[in-house]
Amino acid sequence: MLFRLAPVLLAALVLLPACRDEKITDYRVPKEKPEPLPPILTGQLPTGDAGGGSASNMAGAAVPTATGEGLSWTAPAHWKPKAASAMRKGSYAVPGENGADADFSITAFPGDVGGELANVNRWRGQLELPPLNESDLPEATTRLEQNGLNFVVVDFSNDKLAKPQAILGALVPFDGATWFFKLSGPAMLVGNEKTAFLTFLKSVKPAAPARATQ
Amino acid sequence: MKTIALQFRDFFVSLKLTVVLLVLSLVLIFAATLDQVNLGIWAVQEKYFRALFVLWRVGEIPVPVFPGGYLIGGLLLINLVAAHVYRFKLTWRKSGIFLTHIGLILLLLGQLFTGLWQEEYQMRLAEGETKNYSESYRNNELAIIETTDPKFDHVVAIPESLLAHKAEIQHPSLPFRVVTRAYYPNAALQIRSNAAGEPPAPATAGVGRKLIVTPLPVTYKQDELNFPAAFIELIGPEGSLGTWAVSTQLATSQTVEYAGRSWRLGLRAQRAYKPFSLTLEKVQHDLYPGTDIPKNFSSKVRITTPDGRDDREVLIYMNNPLRYAGLTFYQYQMDSEHDTSVLQVVRNPSWLVPYISCSLMAFGLLVQFGIHLTGFIGKRRRAIA
Repeated sequence: MLFRLAPVLLAALVLLPACRDEKITDYRVPKEKPEPLPPILTGQLPTGDAGGGSASNMAGAAVPTATGEGLSWTAPAHWKPKAASAMRKGSYAVPGENGADADFSITAFPGDVGGELANVNRWRGQLELPPLNESDLPEATTRLEQNGLNFVVVDFSNDKLAKPQAILGALVPFDGATWFFKLSGPAMLVGNEKTAFLTFLKSVKPAAPARATQ
Repeated sequence: MKTIALQFRDFFVSLKLTVVLLVLSLVLIFAATLDQVNLGIWAVQEKYFRALFVLWRVGEIPVPVFPGGYLIGGLLLINLVAAHVYRFKLTWRKSGIFLTHIGLILLLLGQLFTGLWQEEYQMRLAEGETKNYSESYRNNELAIIETTDPKFDHVVAIPESLLAHKAEIQHPSLPFRVVTRAYYPNAALQIRSNAAGEPPAPATAGVGRKLIVTPLPVTYKQDELNFPAAFIELIGPEGSLGTWAVSTQLATSQTVEYAGRSWRLGLRAQRAYKPFSLTLEKVQHDLYPGTDIPKNFSSKVRITTPDGRDDREVLIYMNNPLRYAGLTFYQYQMDSEHDTSVLQVVRNPSWLVPYISCSLMAFGLLVQFGIHLTGFIGKRRRAIA
């Protein structure tokens, strides 16, 4: 009996998983509201980095994100977390009036990612502001040192755009990588969130004991 | 002389096979535990346990190097059943062992059915949010959603595996063919710059024209996700409608207009719609006083059915899942600071089997011990008398 039974059992073991083959499904659901695409893709924020110089090449390069020990932070309670992505270590929506949210992103890339000037100019490019020279940097940036981290903080806005936009950004070298914290969106909202942004930066600290901060 | 059939039978009945299989399973579990560092728990289960053989890739060819969990478990099952048919004799004195073995057979079968039929999804809800679907942890789908009807969305969901095979799809609900031009199991999206010398965008429609899609190696780490992406061309009878970039990082908000009808399309986590909906009413996250150590997570949810048969509140917390409509909702993750709760949604038709089999085994051991104990006491009494 078993002689006949054993191959059947074995064949069943082999073939049963095939029952899970995935098929195209077709169904109707009550109307759903689609999630909005990121503003930078829908034209609410300019995508080009006009005058970005070397920064524009950097934006187009295929860069892996930083790995290894990271930074930890505590976000203000009213910032709503969004799903992180392959490029983003953290992502939040900062709610504004009439659904005009600002976007807060945390990214990290190996190395100095082109240096301070290139990155500052990349952000200026996103707001259609002219690039700065190396000599303009000290005036255009604020330096903060806390929790053993040296932040370069910028606050740019462009009121000449059809919808005035602003970027509050900070970059910090940590553990052989550069971390970027960027709050971008409607100028009024970003301006109002500056205190929350600076409080947020104070909460940023190495997730593990720092190995190298500069 | 024994016939081949008898030799075959003796092989499956033998106790030596049991011992060899148990040793093989020990080695398999040990190797899988070590490999968990590289692959993470899910990939390890697929590679070592939910497989007939553990495969190593030599170049492009997968070579079986060790029996997998299904093979060892399957042979153990056959071995145990065969031993009962041909070797063991059911006697009153061995009834406990018999019951214990029945429990073990059930346990093995239960694990097989769980591996084959269990479905695990998740439901992420913000406080006040209502959902009537759960989402797969690992599988994604290309959703082509017709929005022409003002009341309903008509969804055609194409599994990611078909995109990976670059299958050309003609579905009766769609007036165009869906052709996968490129598929990446994990990819980063970057904003395309205006710099000269950049390759042209493969996408000719939608937001993909503004994006560079860079393939990344697939990650197996438990705390990292893969973000698949693809370039999808839609081809109508008159020719191409365009090529769209889709990714799980982009919402299903890109639109297509054709022949007076409208669609949205995008790649998203595979959805399983339910005939009821859950609303998250309140999340609670208790800590032990004076520490950051979690004591309890709980989600107060409201279940409602469209026909009004069910409309009630349920509290889901650790070790107290909600069982409803063949599904089990476990408290899985919580972000109380942002009032978000994630429920694990499991469909496992054989969820009762391990309970039944463990009870049977415990009862069998108790019976066997009882028989021996009464026999021993009887012997002592007779010796004293």
